[in-house]
Amino acid sequence: MSSDTILSLEKIDKNFGGIHALKGVDFTLERGEVHALLGENGAGKSTLIKILTGVHKADRGRILLHGKEITVHDPIDARRKGIAAIYQELSLIESLTVAENIFLGNEPTKTPLGICDREKLYRESDQYLENFQIAIDSRKKVSELGMGQKRIVEIVKALAIHAEILLLDEPTTGMSKAEIDILFQIMETLKEKKVTMIYISHYLDEVFRVCDRATVFRDGQNVAVYRVAETNMNTLIKAMIGKEIRAKDGNGRGNAEYGKVLLELCEYRTDLMKEPVSLTLHEGEILGITGIVGAGKSELAHSIFGNALRRSGQICYREEPVALRSPADTKKCRMAFVPEDRKSQGLFLEDTAADNMLLVSLEKLRTALGTVSSRKKKEAADEMGSKLKLSPLKTQLPAKNFSGGNQQKIVIGKWLSMEPEIILMDEPTRGIDVGAKSEIYQIIKELAADHKGLLIFSSEFEELISLCDRILVLYKGKITGEVLAEDATNEKLLSLALGGTMDGKEMEEAIER
Amino acid sequence: MEKKWKKLLSGEIGLLMILMILCVVFAFASPYFLKQQNLLNITRQVSIVLIVAMGMLGVVLVGEIDLSVGSSAAVAGVACAYALQKTESTFAGILAALAVGALIGLLNGSLVVYGKIPSFIVTLATMGILRGAAMVWTNGKPVSNLPSEFSVFGSGYVFGMIPMATIISIALMLLFYVFLQKTKHGVYIKAIGANSEAAVLSTIPLAKYKLLVFLFSGAMAAMGGVISTSKLLSAQPTASSGLEMDVLSGVILGGASLSGGVGTVIGAFIGTLIIGVINNGLNLLNVSSYWQQIVKGIIIVAAVLIKKGEKNK
Repeated sequence: MSSDTILSLEKIDKNFGGIHALKGVDFTLERGEVHALLGENGAGKSTLIKILTGVHKADRGRILLHGKEITVHDPIDARRKGIAAIYQELSLIESLTVAENIFLGNEPTKTPLGICDREKLYRESDQYLENFQIAIDSRKKVSELGMGQKRIVEIVKALAIHAEILLLDEPTTGMSKAEIDILFQIMETLKEKKVTMIYISHYLDEVFRVCDRATVFRDGQNVAVYRVAETNMNTLIKAMIGKEIRAKDGNGRGNAEYGKVLLELCEYRTDLMKEPVSLTLHEGEILGITGIVGAGKSELAHSIFGNALRRSGQICYREEPVALRSPADTKKCRMAFVPEDRKSQGLFLEDTAADNMLLVSLEKLRTALGTVSSRKKKEAADEMGSKLKLSPLKTQLPAKNFSGGNQQKIVIGKWLSMEPEIILMDEPTRGIDVGAKSEIYQIIKELAADHKGLLIFSSEFEELISLCDRILVLYKGKITGEVLAEDATNEKLLSLALGGTMDGKEMEEAIER
Repeated sequence: MEKKWKKLLSGEIGLLMILMILCVVFAFASPYFLKQQNLLNITRQVSIVLIVAMGMLGVVLVGEIDLSVGSSAAVAGVACAYALQKTESTFAGILAALAVGALIGLLNGSLVVYGKIPSFIVTLATMGILRGAAMVWTNGKPVSNLPSEFSVFGSGYVFGMIPMATIISIALMLLFYVFLQKTKHGVYIKAIGANSEAAVLSTIPLAKYKLLVFLFSGAMAAMGGVISTSKLLSAQPTASSGLEMDVLSGVILGGASLSGGVGTVIGAFIGTLIIGVINNGLNLLNVSSYWQQIVKGIIIVAAVLIKKGEKNK
């Protein structure tokens, strides 16, 4: 152990139920460095961070701070020990001023009565902000600041408690280019002050700009540590994916036959997108759209479904322009949307599975008087239940009682009951078990065989490679590539998703070397 | 099996039992309580609250609240009275009241949906505005000299014994029962209150339904105003003040959740009856109105606590 080591983790092990999230991980931080944590989703990065900040407890292993073993009880305890995390979700109080936020819970007082010394509060805040040459007025309310400024205030807040180790989780999310520059400048200043930082980002270009070392995680293991100056992007990507290259025969669905054009986006742009996208979806086609977190997949899905403002461009349904101002308008093009978060966006948890599945097709169950026929409702629920392999008895249980996989099937069932032509699915298999996954893949393939058009938004490359005919890759709100399923590999998709330009061949060669 | 019983107890059956217990207590305390005439009298006394509670239930189901119903009832009552004086037509009077009520509801709904102001604030404001409007419109004096046949809605009887107001309130309740419990619209309204994001993503037109429930609430408040005007054969600008509290008490007692999505017509009906029985029983026992308010409050808290306890078991 070098004398400069500030923090080291030894043989950290962590299980969640049956999932082995960290497998005996070793990790060291040198004083004053910026250390990148890299890896695909689920590689173990966030688990490690959460153990460091006391959100989770390690099953086995030791944490050494300044060479002494410590236990971190909770995030407050971590802060007391000088370890502060800045998460993607901010923890600032919008209605308070910048200075009040910086000193929250730690306000300078002036009399024994504990009256807040506001003068000192603002003076010291201004001092902090000046030290880092940040042009933010400390008397401004946080609600008046932009996303990037808020994140900077959050960092200053961590510094106000003299944090020695700063964990930055995707800090540039939602930041403008100028704000990113300010952030990096602050990080440089911090480095001079010997503050140690852990930097998590999906953007490798950022890693090359600010990090000294990088540790790559894969499947819960620390697979490699690099000096950033001595490595390159390809090496890092290769380490993140591992050596196996997928066999190609499993790719795609062979020669699927397309019908007419179902949906067309022309020069389409949402508020969050830098450049317009255009895409075409045919009858019987499964089109994948991928990208890393923050690339704009979900935003695009929501906006196609009328649930977000569209800035420019046109949507055509069967070659006729349609105006989709709200989700209710999508009925006219028989569009369905399975959202990413089934619990908050897809389901009515207290209602039965049957009620959930029939919500959008109640018109079909009407009696002559306009009321909903309970006999027809029962029949329809049983029919949909058997289609999705849910027993009739089960469909009468509230949705909250079901497993993730079955909940997802209920959301899909809700849409199948209205016989959609276009189906958007956002992360259709997130957080569900392997069995339910393959059932959902089966449903998707059957829908395509039935001439429906499917748009699958997913960050799991393998899922898209095995399911889709074509895959579009988004990077920072623009399409960086279109890959046919038979040409698609994990490496190629990841490279495009990270903003790289390398095609599959180069990648394979790089790996073979 | 045991679970099923507990579920029933926490639902309408439990409420019905609370109502029965109250009836038994009052029956022992006052020999007059169980007389047919008194029981029918109770249904007449609660009719206004029941009608307005139907409108309120719709609003509460989508997760909103309407505090302006008492003031709306007063303004609609005044509109009804002036229309009656001008036209001598009962039909025109009721139509004027309903039109004013629906308009008020639409205004409340628009401010909530398009103005994006919380309904508590919107209707707190319109509650004051409308009460003031009723005062200004009438110079603070009752509008009397109404055609005497108009009194049939508030004080008339069918078959010589069943109050007309009871019949109207039960008929409106049945209509609402079918609408909220048996049509897709009712399902959508509950879905919006249960999870508005999922409802919007399930192509339910949220704005339309929110406007609709506020419109209903305004119209039902106006109907309440018509009956109270008919009862006194005079429109009082101060009429129905505090009505919103009785209505909300009934709806909440009936099991509706103020966060939306939960509530039934039958529940609101029994909840309203409970409030009515308490009022009536305490009057029979000559309990002073000061004490009545205290007792009513305690019974509401106790009833909700009991129901909660049953649910948590």
